[in-house]
Amino acid sequence: MKNLSIVTAALAAALAVPAQARAAVKVITSTQDLASLVTEIGGDKVAVEALARGYQDPHQVEAKPSFVIKLHGADLLVVVGRELESAWLPALVTQSRNAKIQPGNPGYLDASRTVRILDIPTGQITRAMGDVHPQGNPHYWLDPANGRRIAKAVQGKLSELSPGDAAYFAQRYADFDGRLTAAESRWKGILAPYKGTKVVTYHRSWSNFAEAFALDVVGYVEPKPGIPPSPAHQLALTEEMKRQGIRIILVEPYFDLKTPNAIARNSGARVLVLPPSVGGVKGTEDYIRLFDYSVNLLASALKTATVP
Amino acid sequence: MVTERSLGQVLQFLAAPFAASLILTGIHSYLGLHVVERGVIFVDLSLAQIAALGGTIALLLPMSDGDPHSALVYWVSLLFTFIGAGLFAMVRGRQARIPQEAIIGITYAVASAAAILAMSQSTSQAEHLKDMLVGNIIAVSWPEVLRTAALYGAVGVFHYVFRKPFLAISVQHDHPEKTGLNVRFWDFLFYASFGLVVTSSVAIAGLLLVFCYLIVPAVAAMLYGESIGARLAIGWTMGTIVSALGVYLSLALDLPTGATIVCTFGLVLVVMGLLRPVLRPKRA
Repeated sequence: MKNLSIVTAALAAALAVPAQARAAVKVITSTQDLASLVTEIGGDKVAVEALARGYQDPHQVEAKPSFVIKLHGADLLVVVGRELESAWLPALVTQSRNAKIQPGNPGYLDASRTVRILDIPTGQITRAMGDVHPQGNPHYWLDPANGRRIAKAVQGKLSELSPGDAAYFAQRYADFDGRLTAAESRWKGILAPYKGTKVVTYHRSWSNFAEAFALDVVGYVEPKPGIPPSPAHQLALTEEMKRQGIRIILVEPYFDLKTPNAIARNSGARVLVLPPSVGGVKGTEDYIRLFDYSVNLLASALKTATVP
Repeated sequence: MVTERSLGQVLQFLAAPFAASLILTGIHSYLGLHVVERGVIFVDLSLAQIAALGGTIALLLPMSDGDPHSALVYWVSLLFTFIGAGLFAMVRGRQARIPQEAIIGITYAVASAAAILAMSQSTSQAEHLKDMLVGNIIAVSWPEVLRTAALYGAVGVFHYVFRKPFLAISVQHDHPEKTGLNVRFWDFLFYASFGLVVTSSVAIAGLLLVFCYLIVPAVAAMLYGESIGARLAIGWTMGTIVSALGVYLSLALDLPTGATIVCTFGLVLVVMGLLRPVLRPKRA
């Protein structure tokens, strides 16, 4: 019995969450992108933590016990939505026994509600369309305009939960909006020479990014993630890339490079690993720096790739 | 400082996964003794893969609405499990030239590949199908625990009632004719009930963990016990201790729960193996 009590005490000590400042709204987000945007708006009036790391595939995250405990203590849960986290998050939210953050309750914010969503299938979904999310493309945060919309939704939600700080959140939003707008024109300037450049991507992570910066995504390496592309698909893609002179394949850091490398070899293109999320690689610690990093990396790759 | 309340909260979250792991220990340690005795170690992976194939195919049917928890998905994967059980009961027999383990391995590989082919034909969310069919023990809910307990209780009673033929065939695995039983019939019942358990277990705990609960306590029990009763007692004790230790380590170190329990099983088995010469010296 003595041993048992030592074990339980050690267990509780290991799990004890450091005391937060009393007034802070405790926010848990599914991804680091959302955490960064919540920090921009909430400042020191919130304590925010992300569950998935930026280098993880947000479709598939291995749940850890701390996730449930963090969710249990949260005042607000912000999710990407559009079924991005449907394989791992909903069961944990149910398990958290936190009524506040259940879908539909005031402590639950689906960030996708107010943004521009692409690739929403219209009419009958057929196999020919490849991998389709019935609710549209969930990788919407990679458009700065959507980042601004998410920030606005976060501002509204935080003001609702902590009305006394509404003016503070509004001021932080205005500040973020200003910095984002300035950065946006900088990014658009850097990528302007490559307007309309055709690229191939691994997964459909960059539809919104491509729209924002006028790139043209003409194909995908794996029509369905987790399912190796058929030889026919690989061949057709390689031929298409040669025909259209496509020089760049964008790949998320968590996918294997064997297939894209093979296609790149055969088509004369080059593979560029680009982080789609905050925290994916060093130098992408917040939302604006993620774009700084991606835009610069992409511009230098396009510069060398488009020189014949 | 840790307050009573936070400790209570922690234990509250642990309760359902821990209860689930105890239920897994109860039935799997027992079935594992049969499986190890019969030398069909990978039969659970194979049956689970057949069930997953059934589930994937059912998800592709328009009637399922793509809902992995629909009744259709459950019944189709169960039907596939029974077909697999029938297959394993049929292929054993006189053609001893082909080891049963080879058939089990082939079934595993073909069922896995067929599931990939089936997924490649889905219209949406292929990346989620696999995860939806494979559970994570940290996310298990109380209703699931209770439902599983009832099901496994029924299977346990069934096995207790018919323990004589099941045990006779397992012990005489290489010479089943000596038992004087209708081996194919009893084998089908064995693999069917076994498949029912494994399919449900994989849905709440995942493939790796289910494999460990089945094989490791049985092997540990064989190191130390001779009679079925002694082996069961050792298997259950080991399973319970490893479950508690694994869940504790997973919380203390914040590691994925299922994988932590699997590695704890491995460590404890190594320790038990090393201690065996000390604890059970060979009789002079």
